[in-house]
Amino acid sequence: MLTRLLGPQRRYLWFWIFTGPFVIGLVVFSYVPLLWSITLSFFDARNTVTPTHFLGFANYARVLTDADFIQSLGTFALFAVVVVPATYALSLSLALLVSQLGWGRAFFRSVFFLPTACSYVVAALIWKMSIFNGVRFGLANTVLHWFGAGPVAWLSTTQPPWYWLVIITVRLWLQAGFYLVLFLAGLQRIPATLYEAAAVDGAQPGWQTFRYITFPQLRTTSVAVVLLLVINAFQAFDEFYNLLSSSRGYPPYARPPLVYLYYVALGQGQDLGVGSAGAVVLALIIAAATVMQTRWFGLGRKEP
Amino acid sequence: MSVPRSGLSRRRLLAAGGGLAVGAVLAACGSNTGRGGGDASPGGMALSQWYHQYGEPGVEQAVRRYAGAYGKTRVDVQWRPGDYDQQTAAALLTDSGPDVFESPGPTLDQIQGGQVVDLTDVISGAQPDFNPTVLGPKTYQGKVYGIPQTIDMQMLYYRKSLLAKAGVQPPSTLDELVAAARALTTDETKGLFLGNDGGAGVLGGVPLWAAGLELVTADGAVGFDDPAAATALGKLHTVYAEKSLLLGAPSDWSDPAAFIQGLTAMQWTGLWALPQITTALGDDFGVLPFPPDGPRGRPSVPVGAYASSVSARSKRIAEAKDYVKWLWVERADFQEDFALSYGFHIPARTSLAQRAAGLRSGPAADAVRFTTENGHADPLLWTPRSRTALQDTFSRIIKDGADPSAQLASLVSTVSAELARVRK
Amino acid sequence: MIGQPRGLARALRLGLLIVLAVLFLIPFYLLVRNGLATDADITAPDWTFLPHVLRWDNIPQLFGDPTVPMARALWNSTVISVLTTGGTLLVASLAGYGLARVPYPYANQVFYAILGTLMIPSAVTFVPSFVLVSSLGWISTLRGLVIPTLFSGFAAFLFRQYFLGFPRELEDAAKVDGLGYWRTYWRIVVPNSTPVFAAVGAVVFLGSWNSFLWPLVIGQDQQAWTVQVALASFITAQSVNLHELFVAAAVSVLPLLVAFVLLQRHIIAGVERSGIDG
Repeated sequence: MLTRLLGPQRRYLWFWIFTGPFVIGLVVFSYVPLLWSITLSFFDARNTVTPTHFLGFANYARVLTDADFIQSLGTFALFAVVVVPATYALSLSLALLVSQLGWGRAFFRSVFFLPTACSYVVAALIWKMSIFNGVRFGLANTVLHWFGAGPVAWLSTTQPPWYWLVIITVRLWLQAGFYLVLFLAGLQRIPATLYEAAAVDGAQPGWQTFRYITFPQLRTTSVAVVLLLVINAFQAFDEFYNLLSSSRGYPPYARPPLVYLYYVALGQGQDLGVGSAGAVVLALIIAAATVMQTRWFGLGRKEP
Repeated sequence: MSVPRSGLSRRRLLAAGGGLAVGAVLAACGSNTGRGGGDASPGGMALSQWYHQYGEPGVEQAVRRYAGAYGKTRVDVQWRPGDYDQQTAAALLTDSGPDVFESPGPTLDQIQGGQVVDLTDVISGAQPDFNPTVLGPKTYQGKVYGIPQTIDMQMLYYRKSLLAKAGVQPPSTLDELVAAARALTTDETKGLFLGNDGGAGVLGGVPLWAAGLELVTADGAVGFDDPAAATALGKLHTVYAEKSLLLGAPSDWSDPAAFIQGLTAMQWTGLWALPQITTALGDDFGVLPFPPDGPRGRPSVPVGAYASSVSARSKRIAEAKDYVKWLWVERADFQEDFALSYGFHIPARTSLAQRAAGLRSGPAADAVRFTTENGHADPLLWTPRSRTALQDTFSRIIKDGADPSAQLASLVSTVSAELARVRK
Repeated sequence: MIGQPRGLARALRLGLLIVLAVLFLIPFYLLVRNGLATDADITAPDWTFLPHVLRWDNIPQLFGDPTVPMARALWNSTVISVLTTGGTLLVASLAGYGLARVPYPYANQVFYAILGTLMIPSAVTFVPSFVLVSSLGWISTLRGLVIPTLFSGFAAFLFRQYFLGFPRELEDAAKVDGLGYWRTYWRIVVPNSTPVFAAVGAVVFLGSWNSFLWPLVIGQDQQAWTVQVALASFITAQSVNLHELFVAAAVSVLPLLVAFVLLQRHIIAGVERSGIDG
């Protein structure tokens, strides 16, 4: 019976020898806290992680009817709808431009890839203090000044919401390089013969070739890029927190779900029950979106 | 095809060695950071005391000096940068949190959740000497849960020369403040700085007190359900909409840099900034409370105190209480030094405040007078949820120009629900 | 004649690239410019591309500041990041290989369970994780700082994808020679997989170097601060020390930049061949 458990050629044992340490660590440091959080979400857990007052689904009801939470989901949706296509378009365009260069390809690729080395904290710092600060010595306001316009308080003005410009550009700067590299890899894999055949058939270089050859051939890369972009957008926290928060808390606008939950659970009030409930709701949404995408694009399939 | 062997055994050794090294380092460097569990010292384990990072230079050395002077047991001072509230909140849930820690006042949830220890006996003899405005919010059901360290307050600083140049009198009502801010705004300077968020974060209950209202009444009900509130907040929106407010300065309201650099003619900031401003501007500045608004209005300044509390999960509660008593009740010299030698705070004990030389004249004396006559503190029943809701409401009124009455109505219902929850 | 429009198009493209490259380099330039300036220069109303005086002594001043142990923080960050990278590479690559190459009926489920953790925002599990680590007695220890961060679903995912595309002929040859899974892995697969190790290693190192929240609450001693925590100390509740902040930020980014520039060929090759896009 033991040999049956171990599988043919003791394969099952080997599987667990390879994956065991990782899985154990994952269970202890990811799943245990996760399950603990889920448990907390059913209790009245204020300032405690060992609560006693069972609430059933009351925390969930509270979260789902909380206008601020719903608004944060809306903020996230707006953010994702802008940042995902923008990053996609920027990194793809950069990849096309760079790949068509005869020389200097490595140099330009490095320049665009370098920001990946920067942390969100440092980038938010530069954006907030030096480029987009609201007074006259900020870089953006200096440029405006050259064109005769007055200074703009980029992060404080809500009408119009200029802070989105700051948030989106910082993320674009930090992320475009990484996806650029992925696209470059994808572009390299397109056989040159396809382009030659197309040219023979009379296809114009430029838009036509792009639309009928390049873009379809990039399909698997595009899928991976979009999936990663969406997952990353869900996890957006660092740049929002570092750009917009102050010693007094966080403004009621541009507040994505993670920031909102962070302040509920870890801020000046410590409502871990509601915070965990909100997090579970969020995680379910992310899971649903990711499952939909992977099913659609078949990422789980192994190569034959 | 045979497997090439050269170089691979070396790699395997390297890999194995690497793995061993990682394991060894991790095992060996168990407590290499000094705060390991079993630190023996006279009197057993050290007490750990947490402070948030004060901006003024010299504070850290001072608090370490005080801790070092305590003879009965060793005290480890931890100086915490970043979001202090969040760190203490997380740490208080574990056994490795601080024994003694300061906080802006233990919150009601912390008190009701039993996270802080009753300190009434620690303060007993000296209780009347502590400023009642700041001691009140540390008291729940007659018991004291935090010993106030120093009193912080905020007020309006204004540049005398700029006001004189614009022909503006120091404002004595909210309407005058709005008008003054408008008159003082030029291409280079803005009239008023309330913080990069237009005042939504820092003002708190101040405009409501200035309108003659309360945050929470003595019976624990909402205190600002009144049209006067909407009027006052509407005027704050006006000063924003007229672009008289400085926004987006590199540092926020708590740093007087904007005022000193001349980016703004008036700034709402704290008493701690007084030395810096005095050094930079000499006597070209004056101070004011937040001006009153409406017939029932009174000038107002917000008053608060960081208080020292003992964690209920501490393993040495008696020793911790003893230490707190020694430092914050008995050692008046340290208290005075802490309050006045670095930045500027008012000592929490009235007797010390009265005899302090630095507080007798000039703007400092004005500040003390404002505190005594017009000081308001956030009541204990004013929970973070209420505070956040208020901040959000202010932000929407001031910046988005939302209808003050409607916003306040929804705020009132949120706060009422929250008060009902905590009044139990 | 045919060449000319193409030449123009190419010149335009190159010009556009140059403009974009300049834009992308501006933040780094700002770091250096502000880091070498005085506060007065940073806040002067008239923009100067270079500060009037290049204050190189800002750098030793930063390291000499008694309130912020910058040198110690750099060392801590290095130690923690190296250990985290080594540990993660070890554990995640083994797991990735097991998932990719050792047939097991429930391998897919295990894989999905691992992937699932990617979708859990860390802010969610932060407090329970912290309490868990504390109850293990790992506060202010290197163990507490490193071990919980080793189990990266993303790293396992990348390794799995890569090993799925590994040429089977090499492994089959090893099997013919009688090598089991273990020895095949260490002798054949690993030495021929440098790109993915480089790529994942770079990503993990970067993440570890730049992490802030976990080192802050686990490493409570000032002696245990990492670089990001030290950076945060320049933005106190009450005042901002602008030039010190920027030079500290520059110092915190510099090691990574240097490493990137030197190793980018390997890193990029690794990302490309990791199979992440396939």
